Amino acid sequence: MTLDDVSVSIGETAILKPLSLSVSSRGVTGLVGQNGSGKSTLLKLLARQQMPSRGTITFDGKPLHAWRDREFARAVAFLPQHTPLATGLTVRELVSLGRYPWHGALGRFSDADRQKVDEAMSLTSTAGVSERFVDTLSGGERQRAWLAMLIAQDARLLLLDEPLSALDVAHQLSVMALVRRLTLERDLAALIVLHDINLAARYCDEIIALKNGALVARGAPGDFMTPARLEEIYDVEMDVFRHPEMGVPVAYVRS
Amino acid sequence: MTIPKAYRKPYILAVALAVLALGTAIVLVAEPVRDLLASRVNPEPYDIERMVLLYATLPRLSMAFLAGAALAASGAILQQVLRNPLASPTTLGIDAGARLAIAVTTLFIPSLIGFGRDIVALTGSALSTLLVFFLVRRRGFSALAIVLAGLVIGLYCGAASALLVLLKDRILASLFIWGSGSLSQQSWDPFLSLLGRLALAVIPVLLIIRPLSLLDLDDDSVRALGLPVKKLRVAAVAIAAALSAFVTSAVGVIGFIGLVAPVIARLSGARRFGERLWWSTVMGGCLLLLTDATLQILAGVTAEFVPTGAVTAVIGSPLLLLLLPRLKVAARPSATATPQTAQAFSVSTVVIVGTLGFLLLVGLAVLAGRGPYGEWQISSLAQLDYVITWRLPRIVAAASAGALLGTAGLILQRVTGNEMASPEVLGVSAGAILAVTLALFVFGALDVFWRDVAGMAGGIGVLGLLVTLGSRSSISPEKVLLGGVALSALIDAVVGVLSATGDPRAFLLLGWMSGTTGGTTVAGALAAGLAAAVLISVSVLPSRWLAILPLGDSPARAVGLSLGRSRFLLLFLAAVLTAAATPIIGPLTFVGLMAPHIVQAAGIRRPLACVFGSAIAGAGVMTVADWVARTAAYPVQLPTGLVAAMVGAPFLMILLNRRVATA
Repeated sequence: MTLDDVSVSIGETAILKPLSLSVSSRGVTGLVGQNGSGKSTLLKLLARQQMPSRGTITFDGKPLHAWRDREFARAVAFLPQHTPLATGLTVRELVSLGRYPWHGALGRFSDADRQKVDEAMSLTSTAGVSERFVDTLSGGERQRAWLAMLIAQDARLLLLDEPLSALDVAHQLSVMALVRRLTLERDLAALIVLHDINLAARYCDEIIALKNGALVARGAPGDFMTPARLEEIYDVEMDVFRHPEMGVPVAYVRS
Repeated sequence: MTIPKAYRKPYILAVALAVLALGTAIVLVAEPVRDLLASRVNPEPYDIERMVLLYATLPRLSMAFLAGAALAASGAILQQVLRNPLASPTTLGIDAGARLAIAVTTLFIPSLIGFGRDIVALTGSALSTLLVFFLVRRRGFSALAIVLAGLVIGLYCGAASALLVLLKDRILASLFIWGSGSLSQQSWDPFLSLLGRLALAVIPVLLIIRPLSLLDLDDDSVRALGLPVKKLRVAAVAIAAALSAFVTSAVGVIGFIGLVAPVIARLSGARRFGERLWWSTVMGGCLLLLTDATLQILAGVTAEFVPTGAVTAVIGSPLLLLLLPRLKVAARPSATATPQTAQAFSVSTVVIVGTLGFLLLVGLAVLAGRGPYGEWQISSLAQLDYVITWRLPRIVAAASAGALLGTAGLILQRVTGNEMASPEVLGVSAGAILAVTLALFVFGALDVFWRDVAGMAGGIGVLGLLVTLGSRSSISPEKVLLGGVALSALIDAVVGVLSATGDPRAFLLLGWMSGTTGGTTVAGALAAGLAAAVLISVSVLPSRWLAILPLGDSPARAVGLSLGRSRFLLLFLAAVLTAAATPIIGPLTFVGLMAPHIVQAAGIRRPLACVFGSAIAGAGVMTVADWVARTAAYPVQLPTGLVAAMVGAPFLMILLNRRVATA
């Protein structure tokens, strides 16, 4: 996925300043930044949910608008920041909707489709609630159900907008581990908006930071996690130490 | 984010409307006033012109403003509290209740009417509102339940009084004029008494503005802010009902103002609820004043006989259509709050059980009937041949039409996410009505064939309009709905005026509109059955879209669904289904509204099961309706379309009443 001089503005206000960037087609990339820095907008652009004011985005060497709807959905999956309630659908039915790009409006829901759905539910440990209605689930279960739908979509690039917001620590770790495992085992790429810089440092291969609609930093977690850079991103004095057991960098707020 | 300039100034439109309204009113009264002033110098002892001005024209104009303002305020409150831009006093059944009360009293206890028609009307409105509350009491007074119960009771009362009018047309002819809202006045007394009653409501309305503004948030957040949502909803609906019931009891049914004024106020830039309430009140008053003054100037003496309520849409609809492109589609907080605990029925269960039940109904409808002397009888096998020839065609036609409309209604409600959407709202039926009306008045009497041709042509005309509008951009469902409502109201106005003139052809039209299956031929029945079979098979194809679209725009796009194209195709399909059903059963059955709700209340949710379920429910309701229409007032044949509302509505009421809220 490559962005060439892409920008978004509403009226006079620039939401995203002209940006050229290419997103890796493998591994986990974290997208961090303050609130309102343009993370969600960037993700929506890549997911074709929103058109850039100017500039072009290409995926697989083909501009985004040239992709057909379902063809694109087979390649790129997107989890919006606010998932709707999905009134009156069971978890299994919701996850099955992820197969739409493959079978379309009329195609048969084949055994292969069913297998992908089962697999996605067991990967996200939602198989136990598969017959429950989505709107009766807890926030964490609901978020994992939507994640299962995304996995069932079987795309090459996953775009996740704050997928951890409703999860407890254990589930945060398990979702990140799952995403990491998927990218390794299936040779996928994932771009994840994260607020927890330490989770990003632990699970991402690369971190991209936005501030006021502009790219301020990118790099591998080891290079990225420096006090100066973190302060630049978050405007808060921070420091970094090594995790006593795992050796990954851990950031903390100094005062 | 900056707000575009045009969105900040609702007062521009309000002032324009006010200037227009006042200007027209001044033109109307200029001459009599000049004469009046001149006659001050040498007054005549008995001046008719002066008396007309002082005791008819001026009170009528004041009444127009007052009634319009009150109805608009009522509509603004209802749209806010029920979170539905289609809500209005009419959709809550408030005026239908009044109308039925007056019809029944006129027929059975006429002395009460002499005692005070407004008291009777008020009692009717109060009863229907109480019935709404009664039905939704177990479902936590949720907005969705109130909307449904209001619609159902409104339909029921409307159908009942329409049936009475058809059966007793001579006695109830005056109900036509009252039912369409006549503002004619003979003194200041009605105005003053309405003013007094409305004044009572002012303080409650003012008190409720601030709590109601919080309803822009969802129910949970409102509750978290310490507001008792249930109590607020009941109080607000009661106040709105009182406002419009006062108006209805004074001047009759004036539809559409209560719907259009709040929408126009919103479109012209009133954002917060307080603003919307204030500007809709002003605009509603001006709109009705403008309509009435224009009507009086144009119609001259005959203005007495053209009820203003019937023509409010003539000015309101074009204004709404004009402003519609400015509609900002905001995701409205969902009205559905009750979690679904019903069991998930599989498609095959629905189809098998539904079909069996339906066949049983058909069997009963074919065999049970009344003999030559009106006695009840079950036909023996020996009579089967004869019974089938006479009874089966109309049953097949009615059931096919019901299936078509039920499917259309389901598709519309799913695509728009609005529980009040129905084929009637799409404007296709209205187009058919207009075409038949025109044909009837241009060519005089029509035979069945040409009437159906005209109806089809009208429906297809609206369809064409929809196509041109829809192909231009991706359609927003809310725009389509509001546009359809405006179009329907406009056409209803034309028909209403014609009916109120007392032209005998109006009764022909009314008969057709209420849907008669009596004269169905075998060929007609076959055609209807074939159309239903083909079109419903086609409707099965996009059932996956019906599952994805309710998830919202973003997830739908994310799985590769083209929003514009899928919505447009589904709307088009619904329009075709409606256009096919209209010639068979007439335009006013409301099966399309009820069938999907019956299916949902029965606990069926999966899209494909819902498609089949709605088709079967629609067919079943129409079969029963056709049987009741054939036998209930034998040898008189009742119009099937009207009976459908009377059959379906109680069924839906029972289902509504049964389900216990889990929240």
